[in-house]
Amino acid sequence: MVERRPAYFAWFVLPAVFLAVALAASLASLLQFAFREHIPGSLQVGGFTLGNFARMGDWVYLRVFIDSLLLSACTAVGNLLLGYPLAYALVRSKSGLLRSTILVTTIVPMFTGDIVRTYSWLVVLGKNGFINGTLKSAGIIDTPLELLYTPLGVTIALIQYSLPVMVIILAAAISHIDVAYEKAAASLGASPLAVLWNVTLPLSMPGILSGTVTIFAWTLSAFATPQLVGGGKVNMISNMVYQLGFSNFDFPFAAVLSMVALALIFAILYFMGLGMRRLERVGLH
Amino acid sequence: MSGSTGIGSKARALGAAMAFALIGGTLSGSAAAQDPLRISIWGGSWRDFVAENIGKRFTAETGVPVEYITGGTIDRLNKAKLSKANPETDLIFTTSHVGWLYASDDLYERLDMSKLSNAKTLFPDAIISPFHVGTWSYVYTIAYRPDLVPADIKFTSWNDLWSPRLKGTIGLPDFDPSHIIYASALLSGGKTAKDWAMGQKKLLELKPNIKAFYSSDATSQEKIGSGETPVQVLLSGNAYHMMTQGVKINLVVPKEGAIMGIDTVGINKGSKKQDLAYKFINIALDPATQTLVANKQKMGPVSPLAKVDPAVAKLPGMFTTAQQWKDQAIVIDHKQRSELLGDWRKWFTENLIAR
Repeated sequence: MVERRPAYFAWFVLPAVFLAVALAASLASLLQFAFREHIPGSLQVGGFTLGNFARMGDWVYLRVFIDSLLLSACTAVGNLLLGYPLAYALVRSKSGLLRSTILVTTIVPMFTGDIVRTYSWLVVLGKNGFINGTLKSAGIIDTPLELLYTPLGVTIALIQYSLPVMVIILAAAISHIDVAYEKAAASLGASPLAVLWNVTLPLSMPGILSGTVTIFAWTLSAFATPQLVGGGKVNMISNMVYQLGFSNFDFPFAAVLSMVALALIFAILYFMGLGMRRLERVGLH
Repeated sequence: MSGSTGIGSKARALGAAMAFALIGGTLSGSAAAQDPLRISIWGGSWRDFVAENIGKRFTAETGVPVEYITGGTIDRLNKAKLSKANPETDLIFTTSHVGWLYASDDLYERLDMSKLSNAKTLFPDAIISPFHVGTWSYVYTIAYRPDLVPADIKFTSWNDLWSPRLKGTIGLPDFDPSHIIYASALLSGGKTAKDWAMGQKKLLELKPNIKAFYSSDATSQEKIGSGETPVQVLLSGNAYHMMTQGVKINLVVPKEGAIMGIDTVGINKGSKKQDLAYKFINIALDPATQTLVANKQKMGPVSPLAKVDPAVAKLPGMFTTAQQWKDQAIVIDHKQRSELLGDWRKWFTENLIAR
């Protein structure tokens, strides 16, 4: 016999409905700007036009999208490479001290604001910052490396910004893997590296995929980090939207960029979701 | 019995309602007396200066407190537009050409100059429009760190920014490129802001020298303070602020002139405290306040009656006479600047920032 939920359970969905309506209303408001004419020198918008979408073909704006996709991909991959060992040690280590250290160094920065963290990267990556200072003191370089206002600097800061989220997602995935599988593989003669490669990694694939997708989509909408560490020389979609909307007063084209970016994120999430379901069907987890 | 009880309860209810109305009326009267004058202004030292030197005097003279609603130039403009039907503030401090955007979008009240006695003595160019008046001036000009730029590099002209030896050193504002666009147009034979396209080719040649773009006063100060962009097109007030923080900065007025900026004040359309707003503006334009503007804030006064410390008057970009405004400052027509800013920003974004 199927147990029926109490009727008041239906009310629990209200906050979600409220959020969905608020989101739909704001997106509709944004969408109507995309079809209005920009009037230079004015905050008002003009009549109906499709011309704003034609500007999306300009190489300048396409390049911002390509740069954003590349930066997001590099950030997601960097997060995976750095986050997996940390998450694995966080879950599997028998040393409480090591686990606490990892927890503090990776998770605690999440509780500081993104502006604070980004400003600290200005100090670390600067011409006279920590990295250049250390390399110069060690006699490795004579002239400072250009790290600030470069894609490399922005990627480093973005990776550090999102690493805690990746570690949490991966740690949750790894903690769900029954250690008996790893022990069985080891008892059959597999080396620790072979166990990791053939057992643990495949079984944690859902976490790897969801972590990578989350970081990729999150980074695609990054604003403060590229704004400050990029110094106007490295621009992502949000920075361009800000420039167009809030400095140029070109709300219509800013709306177009926002809508296209949103559609792009939905498309990426959809295809990545398809990939994940296929992996689950072949029984990786 | 029941009838008398009914009458009694009605009488009690009426009495309670009257008492409530009396108390409510008293309270609302008191709240009205304490209802603050709301001012839209930038944050940081700008807000602090106005609060300390104008707001306090205003409150002392009127008994009305002042509330400051802070934000960036464009953010505040957008907020004013969104709350047009029910304005959040009574007065708006903003830059002269942005003030024209407020005016063209019907966000300002037309000023009754007869209520602004101190406006009669201002420099004529400080009366920007029938809607907003200047409160202080500054320049955007060349600033550099002498300890981080080769000693033999001298800055006497805007053209010196194009020196190949300055490769990867210059910081420019990304929120308003009008200064460098105008300077480039001048160097390319342009005469007015409308000739700005003449300077496009030259401006593209500046790209190798541009290290970064700054998006606010704070990031400008951070970039020149850390030495990341040892040369900047910089707001004079920010340069003087950094000097007080111990940063070595030289400020230069090029032979072609420095680009003058004027910050202004106007009354929000629909403000219900217009008399108080006029009072506040009058205090801002008072020669005594203008003296503080110059001597404390190192900004140019808009009143020739300000008693400027001779040492301060000598500072580059500190224009204290009508002749200096004419000879050393490049004043871009404010209305024309507001109309062209969108095109300038678009071109600048597409050709210098995004490319």
